[in-house]
Amino acid sequence: MRMLSKRNALTYAIALLLILSLNFILPRLMPGDPLMTIYGREALVQMSPQLQAELVHRFSLDQTLWQQLGAYFAALFRGDLGYSYYYNAPVFQVILGRLPWTLLLVGLSLALSTVLGVVLGIESGWRRGTRTDRSMLAGLMALNGFPDFFVGIVLLLVFGVILGVLPLAGAMTPYSGLSGGALVLDVLKHLALPVTSLTLAHLASGYLLTRNTMITVLKEPYMLTARAKGLSQRLLKYRHAGRNSMLPVVTMTGIWLGRLVTGTLFVEIVFSFPGLGYLTYEALLFRDYAVIQGVLLLVAVLVLAANFLVDLSYSRLDPRVSYAR
Amino acid sequence: MHVDLKKEVTHSSPGRFGIAAFAVIVLLALFAPLLAGYDPIAQSVHSFLAPSWSHPLGTNHVGQDIWGQLVYGARTSLLVGISVGLLSTLLAAIVGTSAALIGGVYDSIVMRVVDALIVIPIIIVLILVAAYLRPNMWTIIVLLSLLGWQGGARIVRAQALSLKEELHVAAARSFGAGTRYLMRRHIVPDLGPILLVEFVYTMRRAVFMEAGLAFIGISDPNLMSWGVIMREAMEYSYLNVWAWWLLPAGIALSLLIVSITFIGHSMEPVMDPRLRGEASA
Repeated sequence: MRMLSKRNALTYAIALLLILSLNFILPRLMPGDPLMTIYGREALVQMSPQLQAELVHRFSLDQTLWQQLGAYFAALFRGDLGYSYYYNAPVFQVILGRLPWTLLLVGLSLALSTVLGVVLGIESGWRRGTRTDRSMLAGLMALNGFPDFFVGIVLLLVFGVILGVLPLAGAMTPYSGLSGGALVLDVLKHLALPVTSLTLAHLASGYLLTRNTMITVLKEPYMLTARAKGLSQRLLKYRHAGRNSMLPVVTMTGIWLGRLVTGTLFVEIVFSFPGLGYLTYEALLFRDYAVIQGVLLLVAVLVLAANFLVDLSYSRLDPRVSYAR
Repeated sequence: MHVDLKKEVTHSSPGRFGIAAFAVIVLLALFAPLLAGYDPIAQSVHSFLAPSWSHPLGTNHVGQDIWGQLVYGARTSLLVGISVGLLSTLLAAIVGTSAALIGGVYDSIVMRVVDALIVIPIIIVLILVAAYLRPNMWTIIVLLSLLGWQGGARIVRAQALSLKEELHVAAARSFGAGTRYLMRRHIVPDLGPILLVEFVYTMRRAVFMEAGLAFIGISDPNLMSWGVIMREAMEYSYLNVWAWWLLPAGIALSLLIVSITFIGHSMEPVMDPRLRGEASA
């Protein structure tokens, strides 16, 4: 376990360093006044001279590169990710306001797609080689090929435009003054389509992984023993084979937990869902560079945290992991 | 690695479907100028035409022929997919084999960088870089390749490590073969099937990313892309034009990605022979 965490700590440090240097160096490589290249021409037009002067001072933009680097890290330690000209607020605050929506979307769809994927994978692997297994495999692989934003668009067209039963955009009805149960229902209605798109798009990876492991696990001698003991089908399938097929899925879920924050990007854009992905998109449209940099850094930290948690849960699920390292 | 890759693919029905669908799209892309009939960029006053004989998929908001855009879009998707697939696989092969053969400090440094690249949110990096550079197709290809080789490098390294222990490699080494000679004559040729699978999956990711980036507005302004068509069509989703404007591009993109997925999956017994017989349906 100690070996593992040392190695991972190095990986995390390199990842953070790469992102920080990208955020720091990229705008400063561009020709022109640093304030302009960091914040963009559009931003400068809208900023008051006082704000411009304050930003130059805060990030030492009139000093040498080394002093800028120092100021950059000093600001990071204060939690200062820069200033968003479009939202007229500190980047950190803008991102924090959007984060809960993305977490809600990611959490729900990740839970749904993992549970469904594992169950389908166990059932399919159990029946390996049969007609049911083959059609499930082909069907889910085909589903896997549909880009998440196209799945979202189709759902939007069917349920929002043609049937008109679900809202087209946003996370709640604006200015509705709803509260309590009505508000929860309203939010759930807005969540239905984005969550379904993401669940459908990510269902296949959990399924394929579980099915593959299931096929290998079913050949293990302990399965024969369990069968010889006269255990019921359900116990064999879920307690013995299923549980042992779950390990890779946990790893993958952890990777997805990080990746889903970026995976939600397209779906959030299709549904104008006010999470981090849509925020990044707006920042790209309005060239609000500081916001994109902030999102990049924050998402990276979230991904690293998720990876760390996966490592922890891995040794819980499989005791051999912690003995072996 | 003595596996007949062609047999693996052609002996599974999803594999055969994948090859057939992929071939159709390649033909569309190759004969785009013949099939299009109109210049896909040329605008006309006839906007929002419904499908007809002269415009099989109607026209869009600025009077461009949608069928023409669709077939030219196939070119962009395939060009980006194949180029990124080749470049990333090449990078993965170089990094993976060198890490396995040289080992030591070099190996651990390189693999930590690979791990770091795996956890970095690639798409936000792309958006940030694209926001600054306003890229064309070649910069998109280079960016996607530079950010797409890390997973492959890990697989290649693992495989090269086990090949290194094989008897014929050990024999060559005992006759005094150097690292470079070993890489060229023994390791890389034996890695062939794995590199091919890696190429297929990188190509799939690149096709998806190119369309996704174009969908959110990051694309070469001089080229047609399925992502651009979908982006433009989304703005008019309240009109009844999506049926022949939005859906064909989305279906074409999905068909291409599904076909690549099927080809890749039917190759997978190469990576994990335990799946053979049962997985290839």
